[in-house]
Amino acid sequence: MEDYIVEMRHITKRFPGIVANDDVTIQIKRGEVYALLGENGAGKSTLMSMLFGMYEPDSGEIIINGKSVKMRSSNDATAHSIGMVHQHFKLVDNYTVAENIVLGMEPKKRALGIFPMVDMKKANEEIAELSKTYGLEVNPTDKIEDIQVSVRQRVEILKMLYRKADILIFDEPTAVLTPQEIEFLLKIIDGLRQSGKTIILITHKIEEIRRIADRCAILRRGKLIDVLDVKSTPSQEMANLMVGREVSFQAHKSEGKFGDVVLDVQNLTVQNSAKFDVVKNVSFQIRAGEIFAVAGVSGNGQTELSDAVYGMLKAHSGSVRLMGKDITDLSIRERCESGISYIPEDRHHTALFLDFTLGENLAIRRYYKEPFSKKGILKFDEFNRNADEVIERYDIRSGQGRKTTVRSMSGGNQQKAIVGREIEEHSDLIIFVQPTRGMDIGAIENIHRQILAERDRGAAILLISLELDEIMELADTIGVIYNGELLKIAPADTLTSMDVGRYMMGVKDA
Amino acid sequence: MEKVFIDGLSFAMPLLVMAIGAIYSEKSGITNLAVEGFQGFGAFVGALVAVILMPTLGDGSQTVIYIAMVAAFIGGGIYAILHALLCINFRANQTISGVVINILGTALTAFLTSTANKIMNGDSSNKFILGVCDRFTIPGLSQIPVIGGFFKNMYAFEFIIAGIAVAAWYLMYKTRFGMHLRACGENPQAVDAAGGNVARTRFIAVMLSGALSGVGGICFAYSISANFSPSIYMGYGYLAISAMIFGNWNILPTAAVCLFFGLAKSGGYQLCLNMGLPSNYSDIFMMLPYVLTLILLVFFSKKNHPPKAVGEVYDKGKR
Amino acid sequence: MKKKELKKSRLAALLTHEKWGGVAVPMLAILLALITASILLIVMGKNPIVAFISFLQGSGIVPKAKYGGGQGILTDLFTTLNTLAPMLLASLAFIIGFKAGLFNIGIAGQMLISGFTATVIVGYSGLGSFIAKPLVVVVGIVTGGLVGAIIGWLKYRFNIHEVVASVMINYIISYGTGFFINTYYANMLTRSMQICSPESRLTLMNVQIAGMKCNIPLGIVLAIAAAFIVKFIFDKTVFGFELKAVGNNATCAKYTGINVGRRFIFSMAFSGMLAGLAGVVYFLGTYNTILPKTLPGMGYDAIAVAMLGNASPIGAIFAATLISVFQCGSNYMSSNLGVAKEISDLITGILLMFSACGGYFQYVAQRRVSRERDLLKAAEKEKEGEQ
Repeated sequence: MEDYIVEMRHITKRFPGIVANDDVTIQIKRGEVYALLGENGAGKSTLMSMLFGMYEPDSGEIIINGKSVKMRSSNDATAHSIGMVHQHFKLVDNYTVAENIVLGMEPKKRALGIFPMVDMKKANEEIAELSKTYGLEVNPTDKIEDIQVSVRQRVEILKMLYRKADILIFDEPTAVLTPQEIEFLLKIIDGLRQSGKTIILITHKIEEIRRIADRCAILRRGKLIDVLDVKSTPSQEMANLMVGREVSFQAHKSEGKFGDVVLDVQNLTVQNSAKFDVVKNVSFQIRAGEIFAVAGVSGNGQTELSDAVYGMLKAHSGSVRLMGKDITDLSIRERCESGISYIPEDRHHTALFLDFTLGENLAIRRYYKEPFSKKGILKFDEFNRNADEVIERYDIRSGQGRKTTVRSMSGGNQQKAIVGREIEEHSDLIIFVQPTRGMDIGAIENIHRQILAERDRGAAILLISLELDEIMELADTIGVIYNGELLKIAPADTLTSMDVGRYMMGVKDA
Repeated sequence: MEKVFIDGLSFAMPLLVMAIGAIYSEKSGITNLAVEGFQGFGAFVGALVAVILMPTLGDGSQTVIYIAMVAAFIGGGIYAILHALLCINFRANQTISGVVINILGTALTAFLTSTANKIMNGDSSNKFILGVCDRFTIPGLSQIPVIGGFFKNMYAFEFIIAGIAVAAWYLMYKTRFGMHLRACGENPQAVDAAGGNVARTRFIAVMLSGALSGVGGICFAYSISANFSPSIYMGYGYLAISAMIFGNWNILPTAAVCLFFGLAKSGGYQLCLNMGLPSNYSDIFMMLPYVLTLILLVFFSKKNHPPKAVGEVYDKGKR
Repeated sequence: MKKKELKKSRLAALLTHEKWGGVAVPMLAILLALITASILLIVMGKNPIVAFISFLQGSGIVPKAKYGGGQGILTDLFTTLNTLAPMLLASLAFIIGFKAGLFNIGIAGQMLISGFTATVIVGYSGLGSFIAKPLVVVVGIVTGGLVGAIIGWLKYRFNIHEVVASVMINYIISYGTGFFINTYYANMLTRSMQICSPESRLTLMNVQIAGMKCNIPLGIVLAIAAAFIVKFIFDKTVFGFELKAVGNNATCAKYTGINVGRRFIFSMAFSGMLAGLAGVVYFLGTYNTILPKTLPGMGYDAIAVAMLGNASPIGAIFAATLISVFQCGSNYMSSNLGVAKEISDLITGILLMFSACGGYFQYVAQRRVSRERDLLKAAEKEKEGEQ
């Protein structure tokens, strides 16, 4: 009889339209690092959210320390010593570090002996103490909005420890970190294991599992595929099981043939709404047939850089030239007409009208000119013709074809629609920001193929990604951005990922 | 000059308690355009209780006023359940809900007033005649030159509101409830993950908002108009909202703004009198708070921070 | 699996139906409101059927038992149209902003300032009918449009939320016009603004039709026409497509290359123009005077009417008609049943409250429908497994 600290038996959870978990059973031993491996949408987060009480399973049983329990809210989870670091941090931006950590479990005192109050002084002391104990350095009185992503993650970890959690769930903790920060985090996790905690690690990165995990459960499309002992299983096998077929780790990339300069950015500075420089004096060029990839930790000015090139943000100073033409002060529409396509980071927020039909969304680059409209009156026949064509060519799947409301489509198909629409413009410059975020491996391969095809067609590609693997795989030239500055620009084959990681941390060449 | 302070303060205090009500709701993440309806309905309940009690306790009895204030507090809170239900449980657009609450408030109180009058004394008048609140002068403080005027001839309710304001500040910034409430308006997911109950916290906040607005309403009824009638819907609820915006959703600055609005109104009125202008010139001064709020927003809208999650439906199951 | 769960809900299917959902949801709201009102009336000891028929009689839809001298069903019907015309225009004004994602809560103020300006410029001018009436319309549209444009501009230029700006401007207009009316244009007897000339009035007073005295609102023609124009713009034109795009997702609209700021200004101006038109139809048509410092409640009612009509221009025609019937039939109903006439406003309020829940009905129905679909799929799978 093994000593299982957590058992989830025959868990099934449905959401409208999908079965997120289908009869999943996992058993976690006390004191181990247990990894949940699976592609995006495989049901890892949902499974753990149920353990943490965010949702209730439709059927199945959760057993903690041998006792069957009901998890109705995160309070129940806390009561059973379970803590979770969510992929999207759940922090109140204008509260301090300490306020966030104690939220929900505030130390109390009585003012004048009568009035109950939150004892912030005590909270600050406790947090300082806790942070020292575990080597997680934070300043209790800093506001969340003023601290870096990696520090915010520490706050989330402290939040669990403050609640005396013994079972710690990490949901994709490395997605937002540099290689060096990942090193640090993995050390922390190891330290936590040594102090007797049980750790559940949700990830889709096999490398991390190799480094830290004892056992690994593989989920695919909501079903449990297998539970493996990490030491005795080769990485390739894990990958195959995760995806459900043979995967090759390398995309096929041909030798680059570079043409004339397409995009020429000189001394570009961009300010945010608080008049703070977020892109600082950046200069680079992209030639036809070249993929220029910008690497960097999230929030170092990447989005602002791409937005400024496309015109979503105004340049504060400097210039942007496209095929020799100065486009710095042109409107977005004029830039598009000059030959820029843009696949932005946040597809829901920026690239799609979710309540419009697929047909309308596929027409938004052209609706205002003939033949899509004449004299201000829309021609829906042309909308339909265009939609059917793009849907066919890019294999966009949806319930009712062009009449489908985009909101009801799957993320992967939404992305296909955006990529198809933008590529169909045959632009000289295509900007891809996080083109594969949240997609499964098959779809990622597909998009990578399309990016390479566009490069081989002779388009200049500006690729911005937080996934270092993606950058190493696709880039001809890499620019590393740190704190709004391009610290390093070099041909991709002269850099290793550790080099790039160092620049991402802000280490300059001596 | 003294009159300016006396009238200014007696206008500012009810406004303040309504503005605090609005702050409670918005800080918890629920847009509140319904202040106007809350204060009207609260005032109605208070006035109804007062006219029922007046025959037994005597017309001039001050006890009636205090009971009426409690009734208004409860009445406003109960009416606010409607806004809370619409916004939190029924996922209505919060701005639209606010508008509907105001329309319904006017209709409901008019209907109930005339029905109540018909039952009680046979005529279907749309008014409840009330008295005026007693006034006090604080001995020492009122002797201070210039600002001593603040402490002369004060309505009793001004003390009560001052007490409420302090309590509201304490509750909002010093207690667990307040901490959760403010977090609900910034990032409800964080509260949920920390084991708080977003819906319940917001529900209570909206009810408190209605209760406080109700107190404001009955105080206006007991000072400016000395009766309850449809004229209670004068737009002071919206004035409280502008005070809240002007005060950047914080209680202390909002208090200063209310005082300023009050002084602008009474000062303007006195100025007109002194210059021998007809009283309608004071309308220009009543316009002032709105113009100033707009100008403030033009120049400082970047420094103005509404709660981040205000107006959004919080969906716990959202993935 | 429980049998009960598998049973399909017809109501849920109807509410989420692509084509009929837009009609079914408001219908459900109306039904719920009528039920609530009936309960209220029964509690008061009145017969709700009689009450509802009285509303129809009072508003000239159904003939009354008897009429006073020179009056008839048409008299009442035209009175209702006099309310309907400005209400429809005002709710169209709201819809235009709403489709572009803007919440024009300033319709009341825009109506007031347009009515005031038109009265001052045209109403007292002594111009003849053929010049005065069109001029009133033009002045109304221009004034309302300007105020709307200012609100849009404040949003575009200074990022001031349109609801906040509208509320401030409403009261600035209310006190501002109040001051001018009291100072220069007040009728000392009624404390109201001096009446506009009959030549400038958009309602033809005391016209004899089939022996019945009728007040014919010219605005109703404008209002119905406006509804169809608004529908055409949103369904068929590039301009309407762009407004909807801005309303659905302003960031994406910007990404598409639409000048979002300019669309904000256009749509608020457009919205203000209809509000202004509503204002002159109301203050120089339905009525011929303005009460100082009083924002017309219709400006707020219109918002809820627009919601009741599912924010569609054609839906607004029906919604505005329904509300007008309740408002105009209230006097007759009141005298017929001996109920306070305020109950009609109350019924309107309840109706608007249920219509604000429309989104919720649809949400619940949607969840129900997708759960049914999932269960169906699961059942099919099970069958396959057995075979």
